Amino acid sequence: MTLAIRIIPCLDVRDGRVVKGINFKDIVDAGDPAEAAKRYDLEGADEICMLDIDASYEERSTTIETVKSIASQVFIPFTVGGGINTLNDIDMLLKSGADKVSINTSAIQNPKLIMDASKEYGSQCIVLAIDAKKEGDDWIVYTHGGKNKTNLNAVTWAKEGQDLGAGEILMTSMDKDGTKSGFDNDLYHELSKILSIPVIASGGAGELSHLVDAVKEGRVDALLAASIFHYKEISITKVKRALKEAGFETRT
Amino acid sequence: MKIGVIDYGASNIFSVARALRFLGADVKIVDAPEKLKNIDKYVFPGQGSMGSCVKKLKANEMFNPLINEIKSKPFLGICLGLQILFNSSEEDSESGFGLIEGKIKKIKVLDEQNLKIPHMGWNHVSFSKDHNLFKGIKNNQFFYFVHSYVSYDAKDNIIANTTYGKEFISALSSENIFATQFHPEKSGKIGLKLLDNFINWKI
Repeated sequence: MTLAIRIIPCLDVRDGRVVKGINFKDIVDAGDPAEAAKRYDLEGADEICMLDIDASYEERSTTIETVKSIASQVFIPFTVGGGINTLNDIDMLLKSGADKVSINTSAIQNPKLIMDASKEYGSQCIVLAIDAKKEGDDWIVYTHGGKNKTNLNAVTWAKEGQDLGAGEILMTSMDKDGTKSGFDNDLYHELSKILSIPVIASGGAGELSHLVDAVKEGRVDALLAASIFHYKEISITKVKRALKEAGFETRT
Repeated sequence: MKIGVIDYGASNIFSVARALRFLGADVKIVDAPEKLKNIDKYVFPGQGSMGSCVKKLKANEMFNPLINEIKSKPFLGICLGLQILFNSSEEDSESGFGLIEGKIKKIKVLDEQNLKIPHMGWNHVSFSKDHNLFKGIKNNQFFYFVHSYVSYDAKDNIIANTTYGKEFISALSSENIFATQFHPEKSGKIGLKLLDNFINWKI
């Protein structure tokens, strides 16, 4: 038997409130991250991701209180990202209830952080997050929430991250993010060819078939999405049913 | 009724404590031998290597007192808390509690299976025996795993199996002892049900 494909709703949080979904009237109290996380847990989410979206750019540390509040009410794996620069940041988040931390910009500025963190806490809790944009035949890495371009190749950087000790790669396609036109399956397929650690796809989910295709063609281990779940465009139950019909294992 | 959660200073024990408290249990963190007093049940959570865990328990002078305590009181071992019940581990030379016969081994997968280590994620748990702690939980449900070492043999103590590469022991029991290789505190509703069953477990 193989592992279940994981469905991971992502909460984009700013100042302790969920950013997407605030004005959506059908979602009761969508602005509170813990309430949203609880709802996803009930709907069958396999993991919860919380991203402090401006933390890295404005050099704010992630809201510890929000992490504690989610962790005291939701009992599935919980990943936290945004503004993580030091081992001390990681230590605080893990002690506050995160099971994994997702590191993006600071891993590029200081790759040793991935190495030190995976040695100290184990690879299983270190997720390397990468924002990538296609240019020609390559995908280029961007930092600071997609604001700054680097000269790194995203596929090479993912492999380097694995070698440094990252336990998972969370790859966001900037070209696809927010377009609802499907995942960048070429990118994920490239990654699956060279990586031995799990890959989480992010960016582009709009229809059920997109999610199935990312697993089928992109061969990803997990699917992360924010808006389709926030706005209840697609339910987690429906995603799982579609994956099951396509022959993939899901947790029901 | 007080549940003591063993803190040997390395693992993230807080998620177990949080889950037990969420279920209404009176939880005490046990990180020193004098705190072993007045505890009714024990939970030993953990992740990481058995050697460093045993060394830390010995450094805190908790190793032997703890073995004495868990000879009679309800005990729930989680992940490393299952592994430490065994005699020894391939991982390093330190001996475990020796309460279950056998040796902990590195997970075996074949190259062509293309399986990743650690075994991390949701996998099926198949019950081979009935147990009070499985009450209200259907057979063959998904529980959450994160580990690189396993037990492949615990003879009569085996109560549930999981397959990853090959079949291994995902839960075992022996009188007052119950242990899982998966993390009930991270397995959603059914994981909480198992913990609730432990809180209510009478031996």
